[in-house]
Amino acid sequence: MTLSRRNLLKAQAAAVAMAALRPGRPAQAQAVAGGIGTLQIKWSKAPCRFCGTGCGVMVGVKDGKVVATHGDTLAEVNRGLNCIKGYFLSKIMYGADRLTTPLLRKKNGVYAKDGDLTPVGWDEAFDTMAERAKAVLKAKGPTAIGMFGSGQWTVLEGYAATKLMRAGLRSNNLDPNARHCMASAAFAFMRTFGMDEPMGCYDDFEAADAFVLWGSNMAEMHPILWTRLADRRLSHPHVKVAVLSTFTNRSSDLADIPIVFKPGTDLAILNFIANHIITTGRVNQDFVRNHATFVKGATDIGYGLRTDHPLEQAATGAANPGATQPIDFDAYAAFVKDYTLDKTSKLSGVERGFLQELAELYADPDRKVMSLWTMGFNQHVRGVWANQLVYNLHLLTGKISEPGNSPFSLTGQPSACGTAREVGTFAHRLPADMIVANPEHRKKAEEIWRIPSGIIPPKPGYHAVEQDRMLHDGKLNFYWIQVNNNLQAAPNNSHETYPGYRNPDNFIVVSDAYPTVTAMAADCVLPAAMWVEKEGVYGNAERRTHAWRQLVNAPGEARSDLWQLMEFSKRFTTDEVWPVEVLDQNPNYRGKSIYEIVFRNGQVDKFPVGEIATDYENQESKYFGFYVQKGLFEEYASFGRGHGHDLGAYDTYHQVRGLRWPVVDGKETRWRYREGYDPFVKAGKGVDFYGNPDGKARIIAVPYEPPAEAPDKEFDIWLVTGRVLEHWHSGSMTMRVPELYKAFPSALCFMHAEDARARGINQGAEVRVVSRRGEIRTRVETRGRNRPPRGVIFVPWFDASELINKVTLDATDPISKQTDFKKCAVKVVPV
Amino acid sequence: MARLKEWLLWFWTVATRPSTHFSLAFLALGGFVCGLLFWGAFNTALELTNTEKFCTGCHEMHDNVYQELQHTIHFSNRSGVRATCPDCHVPHAWTDKIARKMQASKEVWGKIFGTISTRDKFLDHRLELAKHEWARMEANDSLECRNCHSAIAMDLAKQTNRAAAIHTKYLLSKQRTCIDCHKGIAHELPDMTGVEPGWQEPPEERGRESSIKALRRYAVTIPAVE
Amino acid sequence: MRGQSRSGLIGVQAAVAGAIAGGALVLACGAIYAQTAPQIVPRLTGRASPMADDPAPPLGRQITDDRRVMRNYPEQPPVIPHSIDNYQLTLRTNRCLDCHRRQYTEASGAPMISVTHFMDRDGQVLGDVTPRRYFCTECHVTQTDARPLVPNSFQDMALSPPSPKQ
Repeated sequence: MTLSRRNLLKAQAAAVAMAALRPGRPAQAQAVAGGIGTLQIKWSKAPCRFCGTGCGVMVGVKDGKVVATHGDTLAEVNRGLNCIKGYFLSKIMYGADRLTTPLLRKKNGVYAKDGDLTPVGWDEAFDTMAERAKAVLKAKGPTAIGMFGSGQWTVLEGYAATKLMRAGLRSNNLDPNARHCMASAAFAFMRTFGMDEPMGCYDDFEAADAFVLWGSNMAEMHPILWTRLADRRLSHPHVKVAVLSTFTNRSSDLADIPIVFKPGTDLAILNFIANHIITTGRVNQDFVRNHATFVKGATDIGYGLRTDHPLEQAATGAANPGATQPIDFDAYAAFVKDYTLDKTSKLSGVERGFLQELAELYADPDRKVMSLWTMGFNQHVRGVWANQLVYNLHLLTGKISEPGNSPFSLTGQPSACGTAREVGTFAHRLPADMIVANPEHRKKAEEIWRIPSGIIPPKPGYHAVEQDRMLHDGKLNFYWIQVNNNLQAAPNNSHETYPGYRNPDNFIVVSDAYPTVTAMAADCVLPAAMWVEKEGVYGNAERRTHAWRQLVNAPGEARSDLWQLMEFSKRFTTDEVWPVEVLDQNPNYRGKSIYEIVFRNGQVDKFPVGEIATDYENQESKYFGFYVQKGLFEEYASFGRGHGHDLGAYDTYHQVRGLRWPVVDGKETRWRYREGYDPFVKAGKGVDFYGNPDGKARIIAVPYEPPAEAPDKEFDIWLVTGRVLEHWHSGSMTMRVPELYKAFPSALCFMHAEDARARGINQGAEVRVVSRRGEIRTRVETRGRNRPPRGVIFVPWFDASELINKVTLDATDPISKQTDFKKCAVKVVPV
Repeated sequence: MARLKEWLLWFWTVATRPSTHFSLAFLALGGFVCGLLFWGAFNTALELTNTEKFCTGCHEMHDNVYQELQHTIHFSNRSGVRATCPDCHVPHAWTDKIARKMQASKEVWGKIFGTISTRDKFLDHRLELAKHEWARMEANDSLECRNCHSAIAMDLAKQTNRAAAIHTKYLLSKQRTCIDCHKGIAHELPDMTGVEPGWQEPPEERGRESSIKALRRYAVTIPAVE
Repeated sequence: MRGQSRSGLIGVQAAVAGAIAGGALVLACGAIYAQTAPQIVPRLTGRASPMADDPAPPLGRQITDDRRVMRNYPEQPPVIPHSIDNYQLTLRTNRCLDCHRRQYTEASGAPMISVTHFMDRDGQVLGDVTPRRYFCTECHVTQTDARPLVPNSFQDMALSPPSPKQ
């Protein structure tokens, strides 16, 4: 520093001032040791790793580690807020038992199903996997290999997986864990609107006059959306909140109309409201005439159990559960007339006054109403019906596709929309809502993928629950699980899932970041990179696609699922896995590795490594030699552009805090199907449900049908499973964060105090929760955040030492194949 | 009919002139015994109406406030000591108890005419019902709380620092009564708009050195903990 | 740090150094161990036979000692060091704010809610707590005395060298 006169005077003045403050001590400034650079943190944007709300966070990296995160003030979703889980994102990658090497069960140096998990190199792991897979393919063909993916996969990973499985290995046995969470919603969207995903967006929160929560505990499960709802409600006294659930929870604490109903009777309540709208003359006749048609659904459709189950054999409509036939308005009105106030009140156990108040929220034409639901509706043996019945209410009144009027299906996982649904990782799907059963759709996919026609198999593969059954029965023999903990998550796991994984005929591979219950039951475990250890894209519940960069490196030899899929594909050639007839007709495809077909097809490898942002890492791209994520994304986006699924340019997503599709000319769409908001609705049409050929939505007549297993004399209490605020899903990340673990260290059984006392059980006592299928030991909580009525208990599933899914029933919605985790019969006995 | 008339006539003669039919000792002793039996029966009946079982016999109570009670410390706690409805809502002293029982006729009226017979109606009335109880407890210096909780017997060393500080500042100094701060201790609170927490100082007291000192006697110095 | 003497600080430093040394040893052993086999923590990885009977540990005891716990980084919401049993947080009443609202803090002795809690969705400061922050328990939780199942190697940027947080 040059000592100019100016500086000298300044320094002297400062010294004098300091001396005056502290007489006798030499003036000293408290400099930042090492300079201001040591305080600086590199902040980058990312979506939160947890729920489907899709909050934006800023991730702070210092010295190669994430040191802090906070809610991104520039993210429209959360504007600077996070929930307790989001605030601990900086710890989720640092549990000490992080997997860092591949593991293979070995005995005496070779693979053995009953061996111990031994560290091996990637080559040995992949070689063993390929050997097993090829053996299965040779013996039984592609229907015997399967993959269980995830709504927590990045969009790129899901896309790579669906290509690898369908175009490469020719199997449709790819299903995501979103089957357990959003399948009913997805099917209902398709059946009602012809296209998946909500037509509204989160902006509806700031515009609605009423919120109705249908079996959704938003206060714990979608906390930031809850803050938007609370903000609206508490700022504007005219706003009303109705919360319907089978037990009182934190969301009920904000309710003006708190409703506790008997499990399964939500269907009746929905039909009652429709009846109320019709009988009080509040149907929006214009809207219904121009934009809706009526159908009647098949009934008595069974419970998705194994075909030899007595309930399935008794179900008359089980063969074709999704069948519908067209009817008219009068027939529909006559159908719902059955659901009178008295009858519904008696069936559901809900007071008449509450039912009337609730119905009025929908019927009042001047009240904008937002319906919100997640697992209460979706994890339901009539989940598709429940979803469709709530659309009925919004369609009858025309309260749809405009600010504040919004039937909003909330998504559980961070990318169940973006990856599982939009990319089409379901056993019957292709990208952009297309299905494998449709030859036109297969043709389109084959064209985009540059593969010969006849490669994509036409028959839908096994869905989640079926995969477990097929593993159990030895029909599915090679199985790769990525980014989920299905041994903990799947229903009836001691009878189906666990025997399936340990079946000696089966080879199970699990890719995960941590040793989970599922990983410990597998034969080969591959260490995975997490969250910001890889570049990725997620799509949240309001259709917002959001990208992030790789910010830190994965530990040890952990690699992203994307890298694993790509590297694995190198071990197969078309000669090994494609049918001879196709190769004969397309000889130029002979002898090519599947890696070449799927990932080096001129599109996926189109973008050079030089296009990656220079101040960020990208392990996959540097390894493979091209910009992997961008190539996959742009090829994937070509499926949807121009068809109402439009995504923007990949690079844009790295600059903004996500964009809501359809993105046309760089502009996102907030409300679909409505002129002025949705570029695909032509001028003059007003509303156009262009997913259906006739541009109209379907209003469906379906009845109340009881749940699969209601309490009886022996198993006398309902079991509801779910989550709690502090833990995400199976707890593999949150149980390793000390503060989250200490906040809620173990699962417990929320129970009504009178039920406990009647069984001689103290608060905090150990009990067995027993069903016909299995039992767990847990502790009773009668004073907790969840206050069940008599006859209901609630147990969360995040605890690997209290596997409540030993107890649950693998009944599903027969249409969506989604498990009903909310209703089965148990008994609670002291230990 | 004639027999009945005959019997009534006989009864009348004995009743109006007992001493001509019975001895003094018999009458005195008999009266004493009957009085005893009557008193016993009266009290038993009174005590029967003083049980949780009786109170929660009405669905208005059982389905609303009793459900709420079950999540609180007065229902389940470390030592298993229970407080039931009458412990808090019915005075122990006999005259006050009888007064309260007479007031209870209003509740009988409410039951007959269904004032709060649905959850909806109960929620609408909650504030009014709560205010009655707060007023009663403020007027009698939380007498029912003091049936079990004796202020002088509180072991401040066993309470948390916060609790000890605030009890010293407000309860032991007799500046407040229990209900001022412990509203909602047993049931859910009504709309609390306009109801200040009990520890809030009135404007003239704020910032006074003495009150802050009282709080500091038990306030925690906060060493940073890893 | 307020209220701490120099000797106390040295004492703390010594304790931390000891803990770090111990922690480093554990980490080193753990690291070696991790190379040979996956670390089995039954409550996280399930028991050897996951479908077998598993006794349930007692419910955690809340830590209610009123001592403020250091945050891991500046923006972290502090944990609640006192009991919140039956503290009603509903449409009708907010027990948390009855102590932590600015106007009650003098009487209650509680720390005022952070200024960030007064800012609405657009970042403008309101006269009282913004409704979007009404539900305190979305971000603030209590802690029990349960010991973390695995160490977490999160690196606190202001503590050097890194210490495994217990």
